[in-house]
Amino acid sequence: MYIIKNAVKSITRNKLRNILIGIIVLIISLSACVSLSIRQASEAAKEDTLNSLNVTAQISFDRRKAMDKMKDEASSQSSDNSEGKSMDRGKFDFDVLQGSSLTLDDYMKYTKALGDGDGYYYSGAFSLNATGDLLPYGTSEDSDSSSDSDNSEKNKSDNSDMPGFPGGEMPQMGGMGDGAGAPEFGPPSRINKGDFTVTGYSSYDAMLSMFGEDGSYTVSDGKMFDESSDALECIISDELATYNNLSVGDKIELSNPSAEKETYKLKIVGIYKNTDSSSQENNRFMSNDPANNIYMNYAAFSKILAKSEKADNKTTDSNGNERSAVLSENLAFTYTFKDVDSYNSFSNKVYDLGLSDDYKVSSSDIQAYENSLAPLKTLSTTAMWFFFIVLGVGGAILITLNIFNLRERKYEVGALTAIGMKKSKVAAQFVTEILIVTFTALIIGASVGAVMSVPVTNTLLSNQIESSQSSSDKINENFGFKPDAQSRPNMPQIGERGTRGDRGAAVKYVDSVSSATNLMVILELALVGLFLTLIASLAALISIMRYEPLKILSNRS
Amino acid sequence: MTTLKLSDVSYRYDKSSKNVLNNVNMEFESGKIYTIVGKSGAGKTTLLSVLSSLARPTGGEILLNGENVADIDRYKFRSKYVGVIFQSYNLLSHLNAVENVVLSMDISGKKFDRPKKEIAFELLEKVGLDASEAKRRVLKLSGGQQQRVAIARALSYDPDIILADEPTGNLDGETQDEIIKIFRMLADEGKCVIIVTHSPEVASASDVTYELKKS
Repeated sequence: MYIIKNAVKSITRNKLRNILIGIIVLIISLSACVSLSIRQASEAAKEDTLNSLNVTAQISFDRRKAMDKMKDEASSQSSDNSEGKSMDRGKFDFDVLQGSSLTLDDYMKYTKALGDGDGYYYSGAFSLNATGDLLPYGTSEDSDSSSDSDNSEKNKSDNSDMPGFPGGEMPQMGGMGDGAGAPEFGPPSRINKGDFTVTGYSSYDAMLSMFGEDGSYTVSDGKMFDESSDALECIISDELATYNNLSVGDKIELSNPSAEKETYKLKIVGIYKNTDSSSQENNRFMSNDPANNIYMNYAAFSKILAKSEKADNKTTDSNGNERSAVLSENLAFTYTFKDVDSYNSFSNKVYDLGLSDDYKVSSSDIQAYENSLAPLKTLSTTAMWFFFIVLGVGGAILITLNIFNLRERKYEVGALTAIGMKKSKVAAQFVTEILIVTFTALIIGASVGAVMSVPVTNTLLSNQIESSQSSSDKINENFGFKPDAQSRPNMPQIGERGTRGDRGAAVKYVDSVSSATNLMVILELALVGLFLTLIASLAALISIMRYEPLKILSNRS
Repeated sequence: MTTLKLSDVSYRYDKSSKNVLNNVNMEFESGKIYTIVGKSGAGKTTLLSVLSSLARPTGGEILLNGENVADIDRYKFRSKYVGVIFQSYNLLSHLNAVENVVLSMDISGKKFDRPKKEIAFELLEKVGLDASEAKRRVLKLSGGQQQRVAIARALSYDPDIILADEPTGNLDGETQDEIIKIFRMLADEGKCVIIVTHSPEVASASDVTYELKKS
């Protein structure tokens, strides 16, 4: 007890020395508190975002891997080719690079890898042509009201001109390209490009990115098609309805772009409105125009597919070869997960169920989540480096100060031991002094740091985000795009989510934290305090244990 | 009755040097004042260091009531059995006079029937310091007053043996007399007082004088 009493007396009667040590510890603790709080905020933000994340994933062909494999094979076959990495264009096998499309049955097989609370939805798309008086939005009667057969012919030509892509340009999945969590298409298959893109959805869940909370679509007239019915019912855009004077209850007749006699009648049960102007751009093809998207139930959609298969029509390409004109869908299958662990578990299990390693499981949500945390992570890493540097430099200063301090107090050590105080007790008193000064400064530093940490973190975070964005904007400016995301439809930007569906959309960064200093930070600071006390008193402990009172006192004499 | 006996005690500072003390034989009893005199370099202060266990004899032994001092923990020996009054006082400058005395009592670990502070004030008064002087930081006290604080500190835990190194060396004649009176009072109370000194006055006031000769 007297050790503590004596330590307190020593501190209060050697104010200047202890204030100096206190200031150094205060600076260290303040910096440590802010640094640890930033890291804590980063972890908390990560946790919060993770908890609120709706994870969706798709299985897709790993084209990069296939390309690498092809390169390796090419280089091993041509032993003469010492350059290794280069490859003749003729050796590209597009069939291999496309991969084989997974069927609905394949996708369904892999649902066995899903856990409790996980789910899935899917959608298919194909193109159909207008028949009769019906015109796709964006064409005029004068220029484009040529016969359906002309259209068909044109499309046939388009189809045949693109080796490996018999369907020509892949149609966009009705407006889904602009929403988060949009299903990813599999490799392009035999798609017929026509006037309209018809998309069939397995459930309303599959349409949440369009009609959900964050979507830009609303049914403005009539109703949504029945989720569980296979009746040939659809919803069309208000633009298409106005352009063709169509209303709810009317029927439209559409034909197979490759076989005009193969027609399908769809009943309009609803008209939708799309308020997202950005999705209406980039419509080089009519079927790409969101106004020409027709949505229906997947059961009805697959009924059309079955009919087309039954009709088994043929078409002839420009080389005179007869090819199948059967409608083929572009299937998008999405798995949904309750959390990231479920996603990770699925990603592993799915290969046990027979998925080839040529395919990969990927999640645009997780990528987006990681991108959203990028500035905070960078800030957290910088803060931790700063923390270690401050701790190292501060620790070195404290050791130096204590060595000088001890030299100054050598006589005191001698006097105390000469009157019978054990060296261990003298050392304990010195450590207690350092401990009291350190923790007092630490408490003050932590209190100030706790108050400062949130505004400091948010300020640093906004600077970090600004820096990321200005760098991205600079690149876009150099490319001649406006900083506005909508003005550069196909230009991925720095930090942008890399999925097809997210192009043109800026990353939504985590840009603020609500709390930073918590119990964990306090405990870590306590550890910092103990660490500082330990290293600061280490020199004192070693010296005291080596001192001999007689030597000290005789030197003084 | 306490007896402290030196039996053939020798001491040298390191293995290569000569003995500072060479086969010293002395005996000290309670109730008496002993003075150890000798020329400079005769080893008087070294003898005091050996007696107070600040240094261990390199030869011979010191017996306290028949028990070898080497077997007693040296810190315990200094904090309980002997009270040392150093030539340069060795007081703690950041403490006042009372606190210096109380600290010694704390270190001894002994139990006291009254508050330590009260005892400390009494001891300081006994050696001639009033309450206001007792509350003063030791650096603000004169040499004589510091010497009195050192004496009070040495007495605070009631040791049987008092060791004093040149206790009057820095003092004027009048103060020197007062200090000698205090030592006499302590001897009369049954303490064994051992004083290392150059002063003939102090030596003449003692009961027994040992003379150390250069070895």
